[in-house]
Amino acid sequence: MNMNKTVVSTSSLCKTYQIGDVNIEALKDINFKVEKGEFVAISGPSGAGKTTLLNIIGAIDKPTTGKIIVFKQDLTIENEDSLADFRCNNVGFVFQSYNLVSTLTVAENIAFPMEWARKPDDHIKNRVRELLKTVNLEHRTEHFPSQLSGGEQQRVAFARALANDPPLLLVDEPTGNLDTKTGLKIAQLLQKSKDANKTIIVATHDERIIQIADKKLYLEDGKLVNLDE
Amino acid sequence: MSETAFPINDLLRRKLQTGLTIGSLTLCVALTVYLLLFGENIGFKISQVAEGKLTAGFSMVFSQFILFIGLLIVVTGAVIVSFMVFVMMSQRAKDIGLMRASGCPNDLIFGYFMTELLIVTFASCFLGVIFGTLANYASIRLFNSLGFQILQKPINFWLVLFVFVLFFVLTIIFGVKPILDVTKIEPAKAISPTYHFGLSKEPGFKVISKSSFTFKIALRSLFRRKSATIRIILCLATVFTLITVAIAGGIIADQTTKSWVEKAVGRDIILIAHQDMCNQYKSLLSRFHEAGESSQFNYTEEEYLVSENLLNKLNAMSDIHIDVRLVIEAHVKEIPGVIIDPETATTSSVGDKREGESLIVGVEPENVLGEWFIEGEFLETNREREVMIGDSLAQKMFSKPLNQSILFRGINFDVAGVCLDPINNGNVTYTSLKVLQDAIDVSKPNIVMVRVDSANRAEILNQIEKTVEDVKLDSDFMVFELNEVLDANLSFLGHLWSIIMFLPLFSLIAASLCLIGYVVLAIAEQRRELGVLRALGIKPKTVTKIVSEQSFIILLSSFGAGVPIGIILTLLILVPEPIITSYTVLEIAGWLLIGLLVMFVSSLYPTIKFARKPILEIMNQP
Repeated sequence: MNMNKTVVSTSSLCKTYQIGDVNIEALKDINFKVEKGEFVAISGPSGAGKTTLLNIIGAIDKPTTGKIIVFKQDLTIENEDSLADFRCNNVGFVFQSYNLVSTLTVAENIAFPMEWARKPDDHIKNRVRELLKTVNLEHRTEHFPSQLSGGEQQRVAFARALANDPPLLLVDEPTGNLDTKTGLKIAQLLQKSKDANKTIIVATHDERIIQIADKKLYLEDGKLVNLDE
Repeated sequence: MSETAFPINDLLRRKLQTGLTIGSLTLCVALTVYLLLFGENIGFKISQVAEGKLTAGFSMVFSQFILFIGLLIVVTGAVIVSFMVFVMMSQRAKDIGLMRASGCPNDLIFGYFMTELLIVTFASCFLGVIFGTLANYASIRLFNSLGFQILQKPINFWLVLFVFVLFFVLTIIFGVKPILDVTKIEPAKAISPTYHFGLSKEPGFKVISKSSFTFKIALRSLFRRKSATIRIILCLATVFTLITVAIAGGIIADQTTKSWVEKAVGRDIILIAHQDMCNQYKSLLSRFHEAGESSQFNYTEEEYLVSENLLNKLNAMSDIHIDVRLVIEAHVKEIPGVIIDPETATTSSVGDKREGESLIVGVEPENVLGEWFIEGEFLETNREREVMIGDSLAQKMFSKPLNQSILFRGINFDVAGVCLDPINNGNVTYTSLKVLQDAIDVSKPNIVMVRVDSANRAEILNQIEKTVEDVKLDSDFMVFELNEVLDANLSFLGHLWSIIMFLPLFSLIAASLCLIGYVVLAIAEQRRELGVLRALGIKPKTVTKIVSEQSFIILLSSFGAGVPIGIILTLLILVPEPIITSYTVLEIAGWLLIGLLVMFVSSLYPTIKFARKPILEIMNQP
């Protein structure tokens, strides 16, 4: 396998949470690689560790032991400011509960990751317009998140994740809180991103999404199983 | 769960918030107790501390200041109490919602949180009276060590109890409403992660669309939590008014009153008189800062009078300005006056026939070196039957001095003006030298005051000393520089004003705790969103920026509202004819900015602590 194409690589990755006197092992000895342009679906029961794994790949969390290398950067040794830059420039994160900034409008929510990345104003304006068109929300530009439906909020979250055109897209249960019809729209958005040759890792139960994945992983009790093998 | 176990555990669980509430309430109570106890000795009746010291006019300025600051401190205390109790209850809204959702009856919930409120209130009031009383003891010891003789009166138990009850009742009144409001919220709404008590859900409108995202988030968050924002701005504006009155007012009043004294006595004035007369004059001037008994002194004794020989020699000298005076003490009597009502043209009598002792100073109006703060007019050479009296004499013996007359040595004089003068503590009457000499049949003055108008002061001073030395052969005359007494008077004023400057320090600390409380509230409300922003790539320092911008906007708004009110109160109500130099403005601005900076820096503590937390801890905490 060509290492130059490897986007994510983990070795003996473990994550343990301490709750009171009890240690809970969320991830146990995780070893896997994701190649550039690959679409990976991670499924598994609730509490299996899917979100924890995505958080570690997205540099939001750190493993207790083991190594995680994303875009040749060892995320276990970077300081907080470098990790912030890493997240801003390399990763687009779509959270399960949308997590839009309630004080910003739809357009502003999509624009602000570009502002952190110091993109020029003209570029930000054009990109916001382009993304709003992609997610079919041109008519909602000046609305606040509280004025949108769940599906619309999820689409804004998608647009925000794509704002800086990140090479890696991490998506956590994108259809979990949505009805079937809206879920389909999200699956279509993921398909579009796959077609744009983005590396995508999705934690999901949704069969429609699992079906379009190149690689299917299954997490149970913190252990990873490759369903393709 | 017992009725007391839950409230105690809940208070212990929220250590920072409980500490902030108890801390700020304790400071408010302590400040009020301190002010009232200390005021008994030196505050509200400042003329008592300066009994026989400050003149009536100066006492009035001090008393007005202390009374005004006292009122502001009580108002500030009430506003702070109201805000902190609101913050305390708003952070319990979710717990109350959860308890209601799980079937806990409303009266039991009310009981739990009322018990919490009572515990916090009792602890704060109790600690407040202890700290206030200790601060009073410490201040009196400090001032006594500085040379002021302030008696330590026994603690006025009823006064302390009054403050305890006042703040206890205020806190309960302010606290019950938020508890009742919170218990009325639907459980589903209360436990919703997007609901925060006291916040309107919708951002409402887009404030300033052309600005950075951090500023937009900060400003819109402030507008969204408008109930809490208005309360904190009101609270801090009151504190800034108080601080401005104390600092700006204190500095302006300090400089103004010092200027009154300095001009009345005169800077770099040389006194030439008989040694005993010099000591007596010094003692008369020192009564402003040292209580002293009047002793019998024969001002007109032959050897105290300035000889013509000395006067001629002094007059022959160039580059000096001479002010000759005849000082005596006399029995004076108030003469009632007549006031004509301009509308009805009817007349009415004012005043009585009060009698007393006054220092009488005969001066040549065209040569006087002093410059007084006068209500009315100064003497004029062609109006010989007029006098200018000191403020203490005016207050003690006259009803409407400018419409009345004064009688001494059988002569009736109209009162032309009332002046602020430290000599003999304001018990003074200035009249024409010639008229006084005729009235008491003394042809010579008993003191000569000299101002050197030359750049070469030392040389001229030597010449004066030599001249006095020459005539000393037949009398014990001496040359004395009045600056020493003047500086002692100014230093006394400075110390008194420093007491006032000291008072708002407690309010500043209490207000800082309030601002920290608000920041904690803001962080709790924005916690998840700030966590998401971190997850999307903003750095911890940008999170600090978003939260600190909110504190800064609040501080600037409060500053903008409180400082002008404080300055207007100071200039229009508290200090008549204030003296303001560019240095005064800089000094005031400097102190106020330091106050602003202290509050801003203290508000950064919870922000920085929060920004350093791991992202998941921020996002996952309920």
